[in-house]
Formats: sequence, structure tokens, C-alpha cells
Amino acid sequence: MDIVFKGEHLLPGQLGQFFIVLAFGAALFSLICYYFAAQEGVAKSDNSWLRLGRIGYWLNTVAILGMGTCLFYLLYHHYFEYHYAWTYTSRDLPVYYIVSGFWNGQEGGFLLWYFWTAVLGNVLIWKAKSWESPVMVTMALTQVALGSMVLGINIGSAHIGSSPFLLLRNAMEAPIFKSPNYLDFIKDGKGMNPSLQNYWMIIHPPTLFLGMASLVVPFAYATAGLWKRRYKEWVAPAIPYALFGCMILGTGVIMGAFWAYESLNFGGFWAWDPVENASIFPWLVLVAAVHVLIVFKNTGHSYFTATLLTLLSFVLVWYSSFLSRSGILGESSVHAFTDIGLFWQLVIGIVIFFAITVYLLISRWKELPITKKDEDTYSREFWMFVGAVFLGLSCLQLILVTSVPVWNAMFGTKLAPPTDPVKQYNIIQASFAVVIALLSGFTQFLKYKQTDIRRFFITTLVYLVFAALITALVVYATGVYKLNLVFNLVMLCAIYSVVANGKVLADAIKGKFKLAGSAVGHIGFGLLLVGALISAGTKRVISENLTGEQYSAEFAKDENPKENILLYKNEPLKMGEYMVTFRSDTIEGAQHLFNIDYQRIQNGKVTEGFTLRPNVIQAQGGMSSSPDTKHYLFHDMYTHITMTNVISTEPQGEEASHGEEGDDKKYDAPVTHEIAVGDTMTYRDGIIVLKGLNKNVKLQNIPLTDKDIAVGAQLEVISHGKTYQSEPVYMIKGRSVFDFGKKVDDAGLKLRFTKIIPGKTLADGKVEITVYQQPESKKKFIVMKAIEFPYINFLWAGTIIMVLGFFMSILRRNKELKPEPVKVAVVVQPAIKIKKK
Amino acid sequence: MKKSSIVGIIVIAIAIAVIISTYSNTSTYGSFNDAKTSKSELHVVGHLNKGKELFYDATKDANYFSFYMKDNKGEECKVVFTGTKPQDFERSEQIVLTGQMKGGEFHASKILMKCPSKYTDDKLNVTEVSAKKSASI
Repeated sequence: MDIVFKGEHLLPGQLGQFFIVLAFGAALFSLICYYFAAQEGVAKSDNSWLRLGRIGYWLNTVAILGMGTCLFYLLYHHYFEYHYAWTYTSRDLPVYYIVSGFWNGQEGGFLLWYFWTAVLGNVLIWKAKSWESPVMVTMALTQVALGSMVLGINIGSAHIGSSPFLLLRNAMEAPIFKSPNYLDFIKDGKGMNPSLQNYWMIIHPPTLFLGMASLVVPFAYATAGLWKRRYKEWVAPAIPYALFGCMILGTGVIMGAFWAYESLNFGGFWAWDPVENASIFPWLVLVAAVHVLIVFKNTGHSYFTATLLTLLSFVLVWYSSFLSRSGILGESSVHAFTDIGLFWQLVIGIVIFFAITVYLLISRWKELPITKKDEDTYSREFWMFVGAVFLGLSCLQLILVTSVPVWNAMFGTKLAPPTDPVKQYNIIQASFAVVIALLSGFTQFLKYKQTDIRRFFITTLVYLVFAALITALVVYATGVYKLNLVFNLVMLCAIYSVVANGKVLADAIKGKFKLAGSAVGHIGFGLLLVGALISAGTKRVISENLTGEQYSAEFAKDENPKENILLYKNEPLKMGEYMVTFRSDTIEGAQHLFNIDYQRIQNGKVTEGFTLRPNVIQAQGGMSSSPDTKHYLFHDMYTHITMTNVISTEPQGEEASHGEEGDDKKYDAPVTHEIAVGDTMTYRDGIIVLKGLNKNVKLQNIPLTDKDIAVGAQLEVISHGKTYQSEPVYMIKGRSVFDFGKKVDDAGLKLRFTKIIPGKTLADGKVEITVYQQPESKKKFIVMKAIEFPYINFLWAGTIIMVLGFFMSILRRNKELKPEPVKVAVVVQPAIKIKKK
Repeated sequence: MKKSSIVGIIVIAIAIAVIISTYSNTSTYGSFNDAKTSKSELHVVGHLNKGKELFYDATKDANYFSFYMKDNKGEECKVVFTGTKPQDFERSEQIVLTGQMKGGEFHASKILMKCPSKYTDDKLNVTEVSAKKSASI
């Protein structure tokens, strides 16, 4: 049965799908051509294979750009006939979030990775000279593997890849797709997950994917070096790319941490969630690899370790993609994707690159330039090697624990992750950090090959004592000393690393400035550790809740500290040294902002006041809460809403239709007071004073004649330090009695003037006021959590400094690359080459 | 003995220690029945019984949330969580609890829930679409 569907825009999708197939084909073509170009048999003068390989790669790049343009086009125009557009965007989404909608789904993530690999490949075509053919073989292979992920083609019963251009009606089964005009019923997409509607989602994924993608370059150089038996040569050109990978991937990961801290309600910057862990596997291994690569370059030692780690770091990129994309972490992670049918394709991806690693290392084993001589104990290379090994071990521990679901799937076991993973990770990773930070400090005082031992011990000790003094101060001032011993040791070693590298930096500025990069990088790393340690170790929940009804004595006894407090609107509450008040809530776009006043009170005086505006975003039928943070130089005050009755997910409008009687139901049973002018009534949240009676009330739309009587009761409500005015009216018109109640919404009150009780004299007269107050649960409230993070700025500052260090090192290592001798260079366009020389 | 062998031995020793600690620190997935007999914390996988009351009243206690969950063996138990009700809790399809039994209640220290719609949902909510249909005609 063929149905002609109305209103569909099929062209951009077909074009996109064409580009997908073109990109895949081009990558495959490029792979084959480069493979032949890299064969020894090819004559130096014959560069036809190479040229074809380039054309293939360029075509691949162009097709990827075309794909991206098509995808953006249909997201931008809200073509909800496409599954991708329907699932991740909606009409009310601002344009900048449509950009992030692009990589909201897994397909978009692959597309980003695909794109960056294409860019890096073009850089290599331009820069790699004699390495081009063998290196580009790996690049093209990667493009083939990535291209297959978005292919979206069925071959027989096998489904290869998942295309972002899949039509909604092909993506799911539903009766409405039987009608040709089904698009008329799909008015809007599902919209973006509220927690992703954040500016960090615009820059974090591209950075992270560039980092992930860039790890292919050192891998490609290593495989090329082994394959072409140019064992020693590949190291020098690979180092700048490896440093680049460290820098960008590190930045991407920390951006994620900052995003989590600033706008997700995880209550911190790192939660040791499996997906977070997976993102740093490749980073840790690559950082280790960079160190041993430099060792090899300077001394000829550690060749095998350097090569192995370089190769593994890219295999781990695939493994970590597998972990976060295959759905295997379903029961252990809060933010893993569910499987979209790529499970086995991802497994094949890991297997391919792992097999290349294993094959090359085994087949070339006997020829590898492994030194027989041991390193000297007092040499820099030896301790750098040890440091790299410990980085590897720390990664091993993360992999082992994070992969528990993988072990279960492989061996049929039923292990569950640790019940308190954070504590376990913290302690074990801190132990590794002690060693790594210590090494990154004293190794700076060692020289390559041989060192003057006496001088080394003296400097090391002097700086260790100096660091110990600073540590004692810091630990005491911040309260870190109360923590586990191992955290104090990390502190000591991190500070030691900072001061030791500080000395190196000072020397470098005086003399050899090219050494500054590593010093800056290590200082940054040390500060990062210090910041992470203090803020995570001494963070304090300020919103301690000591109230709350005791549901069972046992419950209250075991489950202390309670971390959420309840704030009624306009009712101040003391929270630690602050007086907090939930003042109001405002809606700005999709955000529902809550204005919370903070007043710091010391010795009865208000010393400081500010307003925090945490918000709650409603989308896709769910809510997501984003914190707001008051930043100080040395600590942060972090607040987020965990629950509120201001926003309800139930349909609105129900309340309005009930009328007067229904309205009364929203209040507690009324209380009547007979009072005279000047009298005071009390109610739960304050007092109400009858200031006077107003006989000249004007009522809108009701003309009053002389016979009619209308009196207003001038009431003043004082509640929690705030004063409100209200004037309910009592009226006799004709033979009927009316009263016009007034609401004081901010105080949760409704006041009615229900009777006039004449007295003997006029002054003696009393009036009856009926007070309706909202039940506690109907009053507007928020439940919030406030956390103080001390010294977190060290963490961010440390990261920036570390990235700067990586950057300086890239410049230095790039400068060190000697221009290649002409004889090995593949002369592509002789005429131009000669002109340049 | 060569230094590299010493380093090698140390590395292997640490690696073994890490593997053992990983294994000994892992907990187990169990049912509520297992939780009754076990003293230590464990993970229970199951789904929310939407037929029974979810109790959370911030005005009484902002840090008390209770609900009934059926584990994968079909056994039902009351669960108490010290904290606020997680957003979209009613929509969860699967819940993984970490905690232990206290009295007749399971006290959860951590709740991990999977809402399929949160990331990728390949089931079109047909009722939603057909509701729109009737509205537009």
C-alpha cells in the first residue's frame, strides 16, 4: 500500500542521506588509495595513488559538511517529519539551542566526531609530508568506521548505522502514519531535554569531540611508524598532536564538570558517574603517553611503553564511546545513552583498533628499539616512566570499576557497582594522585641521564619542607585535616608540585624559556588537585533541616543530616549564618526563576545581602532544576530548587473554573472575628488590624444610590515583617446583602467583611471579618538545597593554567621538529616546492 | 636484580591489589527478599508500583519520600528515601535503589531511575498525538 504523504519536505533528507553514502564511499576509496600509496613498491615519482587518496579524503570532508548543512537546515526549519528534528527540537527553541540540538542525539555526536577527524585529516595532508600515506590510512579507516555509524542502511536483516535523516514515520510504528496528512497532527517536536538547554551544551560537546577525535593522530603516527618500520622517527611529529589531544580533551572534560557544577543539580563538579569516568580514560593514558614519548625522544628509553600507551589511548576512545553509547551502563549511570542499535558496531570499532595495536606490536616485537640498559635511578627519565605507569594504573582502576556491567555481560556474573562509589574512588584515586603529584614535583630537579645526587637531595628536601609548611597552614585553615590521611598527603604532594614547578618556572623565565611549558602545566595540575580536594572535601550543606515531622523514631535517628529546607513565600528562615527568604518567582522564556534573598547576619546586623535566582525549566513534560551560585573569590554559595508547588505539571485552568465556592475550598475553614476599630486579630502567620471603616467606598461597575450602603473595612495585615493593605467591602443594595472579599495573595489570605453588628453607640459598633487562610500546603513554597564550596576557584584556575601549559609545550615541541630532509619528502607538486625553498 | 624488574613487580602487585579491591568493593544486585537477610547495602532493581501512593509532603517533612516498588521478582516493598521526590519520578520505567532494609521498610540511600523519554524514546506516545488530532478537527 503506497500512501502519498502530504506536506513532507523530502529533499533535504534525501540530499543528506546522499551525502552520508558519499562520505562513506569516499572514505573507503581514500583508504584503499592511501593503502596502495603507502606500499614500498610504489615508485617515488608515481604519486597517482596518493593523489587519489587525497581526492577521496577531500570528497569525504565536503560530504560531511553537506550532511551537517542538511541536518541543520531541517532542524532550523522545524521539519518534524524527520525523527531527529521531532525528538530533539521544538518550535519555541531559540536558534542557539537548535545548534545544540544538532548534537543532542547520538547521530549528531558521531557527526561531530566525523567532522573533526575530517578536519584533522586535512591538516595532516597539509603537514605530514613523508608520513602522509601511512598516517592517512589510519585516518581514512577511522572515517570509514565513523561513517558506518551514521549510514542507516539495511543489508538483509542487518541494520548498519543510524542515520539522522530517518523519517519519523519510518522510525516508529503508529496508526496515524497511515493517514496521508499525518503531518497536520504533528504540530511540534518533543523539544529538548530541559537540562540540556544551557549555553554549555553549545560549546562543551564540540570541544570534547575535538579532543576525542584528535587522539587518532598520535595513534596514526604510531601505527605508521610500526608499519613502515620507521620506529624512532614517528615520535617527534606525534608529540605536538598528543599534547594537543591532552589539552583539548582535558578542556572538554573540565567544561563538562563546570557545566555539571553550574547548571545541573548533581551538587558538585564530579560525581564519578561511569560516563564521566569513561571520558577521562583516554586522557589519563594519553597524558602518560606524552611523558614517555618525551622520555624516548630525549634518552631512547621506554620505547615500548610509549608506543603501547599511545596506541591504547585511541582504543580507549572507542571503548569509552562504547560505554556511553551502547546502553550497557543502563543500570549504573544517570547519563548514558540508550542503545540505538549500534552495540555490535561499537564493539567492532574497539576490536578493529585493538587488533591493529596487538598485531603491530607482536609482529614488530623483535625489531622494536628497546634499550637493554637500565635507566639510572637518579635520572629524570626513570621517574617520568614511573609516573606514567602510575597514571596508567589509576586509569586501570577506573576502567575495572566502571566496567562492572561489561564484566557482567561478558562473564554472566551479577556484580553491582560499589554501594558508595564516590568514597571508594576518592580514596583509591587520591592514593594514585599522591604518587603522581609527588613525582611531578621532584622529577623536575632531576636531569636526563645523570644527576648530581647530593644537590638533588638538598633541593628536594628544601622544597619539601617549604611545601610542608604551606600545607600545614592550608590544611588547618580549610579544615582538610579532618579528612582521611590520604587526602592530606595529596594536599602535601600537590602543593609540593606547585612550589617545585614554581622554581622551575622562575628559572625558565630567567634562562631557557622553552622549559616553561611543562612547569606551567604541572603548576596547573597541582592547583587543580588542591582546588578539587578542598572544595569536594570540605563542601558543606548549609540548608540543614532540623525540623520535619518524625515519621518514625528510628528513621529520624538513622537518617540525619537532612539537606533540604522548605521555604514558604515571604517567610524568612534562618539557614546557617544566612536569613533566606523566597520572595517571588518570574518566568523568562522557558525558565521559571525563583528569587531568593540571602542576608548574612552577624551579631544581629545584616552585613551582606544578595539575591540568588535558581531556575526550573519545564520541557518534554518534565522539569529540570538549575542552580544559581554566588561566587566569591574563595568560596561559592550554591543553591538549587529540589521541589516546588509553584509549578505544577498538571493541566492548568482547572482551578479557574470552580468559581467562588471552589475558591473557598482552597482555604482552610474560615474563622470569624467580631472586632471594633483598632482591634487586632491574630492568625497563623501574623496579625490583622482593623484600622478604620471607610464609608465612601466606590465600587467598579456598581452605581450606588442614596439608599444603598457600602462600607469598606480598612485592614492592615502584618506577616513576617511585611505589611499589606486590604479593604473588603460590605454592601446593602436594595434588599440584598453583598460582600466583596479581598485576597492578599502574598500572605495567603482571603478576607471578607461579612456583617455589621450595630452597637449602642456608633463607636460601640462592631464588624464581623471572616478570615480565610491558605492551608500550609497550598501556600507557595520551594524546597531547596544550599551548598558551600570553598576554594573551588583553584580548580578552575588550575585547569586554565594547565591548559596554558599544554599550549606552551605544543609551541615548543612544534618548534623542535626539524624540517624533513628533502630526499624522503614525497614531492607532490615539484614546481611549487622548489619555489618555496 | 634489574630495576625494571623491580618496577614491574611493584606494578603487578598494585594491579592485583586494585583488582581485588574492585572485586571486594562491588556490591550485589538482589531482591527485597535478599535485602531482608543481608546486613550490608545492596542494589535492588525494579519498577514503581504506580497503583499505590507516592508520599511526599514538603510541608510536613521536606526530606521524607516514600513509595512502593516491585522488584524484578515481583515482590513489593515500601521504600523510604531521605530527600525530596526526584523530578519526573512517576514517569520512571525502571528504578535502581541502593540501600538496605530497616524494619519492614527499604531505606534507599540512592535512587537511579530511567525515564526512557529522557534521552531517546523510540515509542511514539500515541495517545498524545491522537489527542491533538481530535483537537484540530
